Amino acid sequence: MARYIIKRLAYAVLTLFVLISLTFFMMRMLPGDPFLGDKTVSATTLANMQAKYGLDKPVYIQYLKYMGNCLRGDLGMSIVYNRDVMGIVSESFMVSADLGIRALIFAFVIGVLLGAVAAVKRGGFADSFSMFIAMIGVSVPSFILGALLQYFLALQMRKVFHINLFPIQGWGSFNQTVLPAFALGLGSLATVSRLMRTSMLDVLGSDYIKTAKSKGLSQGQIIRRHALRNAIMPVITIMGPTVASVLTGTFVIESIFNIPGLGKYFVISIKDLDYTMISGTVVFYGGLLILCTLVVDLLYGFIDPRVKLEG
Amino acid sequence: MEKIDSSRFAWVGESAHDREAISRPSLTFWQDAMRRLVKNRVAFICLIVILVLTVFSVFAPMLSPFDYREQHYSHTNAPMGTLCNESGVPGEGHKHIFGTDTLGRDIWTRIWMGGRVSLTIAVVSALVDLILGSVYGGISGYFGGTVDIIMMRLLEIINGIPYLIIVILLMMIMKPGMITIIVAYSLVGWIPMARLVRGQVVALKQQEFIAAAEAMGASPWRIIARHLLPNTLSVVIVRVTLAIPGAIFSEAYLSYLGLGIPLPMCSWGSLAQAGIENFRIYPSQLIIPAICISLTMLAFNMFGDGLRDAFDPKLRR
Amino acid sequence: MADRVLTIEDLQVSFDTYAGEVQAVRGVSLHVDAGEVLAVVGESGCGKSVTAQTIMKLNPMPPARIKGGKIDLAGHDIVAASEREMQHIRGREVAMIFQDPMTCMNPTTQVGWQVVESVRLHNKISKKDAKEEAVNQLTRVHIPNPRERARQYPHEFSGGMRQRAMIAMALSCKPKLLIADEPTTALDVTIQAQIMDLLSEMKRETNTAIILITHDLGVVAGIADRVAVMYAGKVVETGTTRQIFYENRHPYTRALLGSLPQTDSSKREPLTSIPGTPPDLLNPPKGCGFAARCKHCMQICREELPPEFTTEDGHKACCWLLHPDCPSPEERGDRT
Repeated sequence: MARYIIKRLAYAVLTLFVLISLTFFMMRMLPGDPFLGDKTVSATTLANMQAKYGLDKPVYIQYLKYMGNCLRGDLGMSIVYNRDVMGIVSESFMVSADLGIRALIFAFVIGVLLGAVAAVKRGGFADSFSMFIAMIGVSVPSFILGALLQYFLALQMRKVFHINLFPIQGWGSFNQTVLPAFALGLGSLATVSRLMRTSMLDVLGSDYIKTAKSKGLSQGQIIRRHALRNAIMPVITIMGPTVASVLTGTFVIESIFNIPGLGKYFVISIKDLDYTMISGTVVFYGGLLILCTLVVDLLYGFIDPRVKLEG
Repeated sequence: MEKIDSSRFAWVGESAHDREAISRPSLTFWQDAMRRLVKNRVAFICLIVILVLTVFSVFAPMLSPFDYREQHYSHTNAPMGTLCNESGVPGEGHKHIFGTDTLGRDIWTRIWMGGRVSLTIAVVSALVDLILGSVYGGISGYFGGTVDIIMMRLLEIINGIPYLIIVILLMMIMKPGMITIIVAYSLVGWIPMARLVRGQVVALKQQEFIAAAEAMGASPWRIIARHLLPNTLSVVIVRVTLAIPGAIFSEAYLSYLGLGIPLPMCSWGSLAQAGIENFRIYPSQLIIPAICISLTMLAFNMFGDGLRDAFDPKLRR
Repeated sequence: MADRVLTIEDLQVSFDTYAGEVQAVRGVSLHVDAGEVLAVVGESGCGKSVTAQTIMKLNPMPPARIKGGKIDLAGHDIVAASEREMQHIRGREVAMIFQDPMTCMNPTTQVGWQVVESVRLHNKISKKDAKEEAVNQLTRVHIPNPRERARQYPHEFSGGMRQRAMIAMALSCKPKLLIADEPTTALDVTIQAQIMDLLSEMKRETNTAIILITHDLGVVAGIADRVAVMYAGKVVETGTTRQIFYENRHPYTRALLGSLPQTDSSKREPLTSIPGTPPDLLNPPKGCGFAARCKHCMQICREELPPEFTTEDGHKACCWLLHPDCPSPEERGDRT
């Protein structure tokens, strides 16, 4: 078990290192100078600014400094907002996290239930329904789904039925969270429910379920005591990638629903070519996801007794 | 007991024909897979949808009286089926089947131009993934040992970073365009393929026919090319089919972030992005590209599922 | 007569598949008494496992379907029993151990807990007693360090130990009948003997009736009291182990025995195999199922099902060769 944890930790640290290096060198390769866009800057100001941001030093010093800064949580100054990136991140990330966690809970809880029911009642209504949800989930990108939900469930519902259940945009009340969380989570829900269905079918067809049945357990007892726990294992392994897809999804969902989260700032910074903001957010998100993957891996190690042996 | 005539006890002996009777006709792997694929109605319909979308993307822009860049200021944001009344243009008297956009460009023509771009990006990226992934995974799985360990560690590290973040970074430093999107997507998209091929190769390597080829003195390259890759083909084909909707999604996503195809060229993603900006007033401008994207992703996904079922011998009945 | 635990009469089980109805079991009659071991032997696909699983109604229905016949298990009418009634019968009256001990235990649950699960289900004992019971059960099947072992997971057990734990699990509720479906096939030869010894020991201790399903006649000789030979969904010959080994009357039984190596044989006989495969039960043959592979096949064998011929000492076989009207080999033209 200790070996397993150390191995996972080492991977996480290495990945973080690669991510920061990648970001640094890519930002170095950007065409032009970040300060030359503004033609009014005089040569002295330019030199001053370069000195201020350390751009006059050799590359390797800049690299080490950047690495150190990132690890200390200093992600640089946003050129457009003229304030430090970490400040923006800490202010807006909670909103994104709130939205992301709602979407994840929605995706996992409903996805697991739907997948399990679909497998147990194979070929029944729940099976067809979960297939239908899965089809929508895999084929409609979240931002298109978000826009369509806005149009039909918010705009048209108000216009045609005079029901003002879901606001078109904004953030704060519970009703405002429903549509974005749904749009954000549906794709993952589809993945989770499909995987859960396959895994549940696998488990239900396995020998130990037959053993359990031969002991005289009822269908319900078999599912609760033996099938669910084993069927959920593969679902846990995709939690890492799912968190990643939900978080990258927040970029577009937040700007569509005008939610003041980090994703919205990120999209604006891409459109404004605010490079420090982009690289800072990338490092923050990348680091966060590496941490999430690590947590999921460790969690898996605790839940599945077989992992301990492999190390 | 009723008396039985002794003639009925005449000896006939065992029957080599009956005892080996095989009640099902024997088919090769590919014949069998094809037979099951054709029988799978859903997969077949999906294949037809894919073909129809491709044919329209290739020919519709050629046959359309409008050009995808041509702007008609007299009827911007026109609804579906509006007649073009602008005099002196080649499209005069023709209908804008899907209406026009904010700049009065014919959406029908743009949709199918966008289809060309989106489908090209998707198919080319999937093929590049296939080549890179097969080579990397094949080498890693075939040689095993230290090579395998180093190559897989490397892969796992890159895989730890969400691919969209890498793609966004790459898109920032390259000149926007179709090639850029393909390059950026392919630089990370090959990873799942490499893992898949490696897994297959490692499993196959332990089988006897590979040992036989080695014993006969075949070179590693020959074994990879002639024995290992063909045997992983079915799994790889399925994976390529399922990678295409992923590429379409990524293209749409990047377009939404403003990192897609530069104007006046368009893709389904950029059309959807433009549609989102004014869908509250003109919903059809969003819904049409949305249907194209979703239909394509759905068709490829379900066709891929059908292929997998057709290839998977476990499902044989 | 000893206590009759199980009587099966003319059992017919079919599977409804896409290709049509597969008649897996076509009229099987069997019986087992308390403290007796009945071995059911035959090639794979001859309906042994289906028969066994039907006794516990373990095969999913549909696609499986009991078409006819009667199963009486310690006074319970199995064919008519509802799923709820079956839940009371399974584990308590009849238990089963399966072929592959590696896959028959839940990988994420402690072994001890799995062993006493059916005790807790049927007898409602406290958690603490259950723990003790698990240790006792594991001790009974000679698992060393039972207290620690009970807390371990199946992957920490070797194959032989898992099969021991499976036996403990099956016998934990003192069932009247134990069905062992190829219990040693997946194990090493050295372990096989230990498991068979354990089964005999358990039988002596508990007086449980055992149905031992196997394709390995070598396993049968040491432990079984009676043997039923199955072929193509039918019992073709039954009798005591002695009768089957030394006075066998059905060509299939002979062919099966011929494919078994004889260590005590003074002659240097070659091992024989049975060419061909059992018939496709999607379209079962009209006559005797073995006809196509039988060296002695006669005209009538292909046309009509052979009836059952019983000797005075209870040895039964279904073969036209046993018919009183059947002429001598020379008259039939049999050149083998």
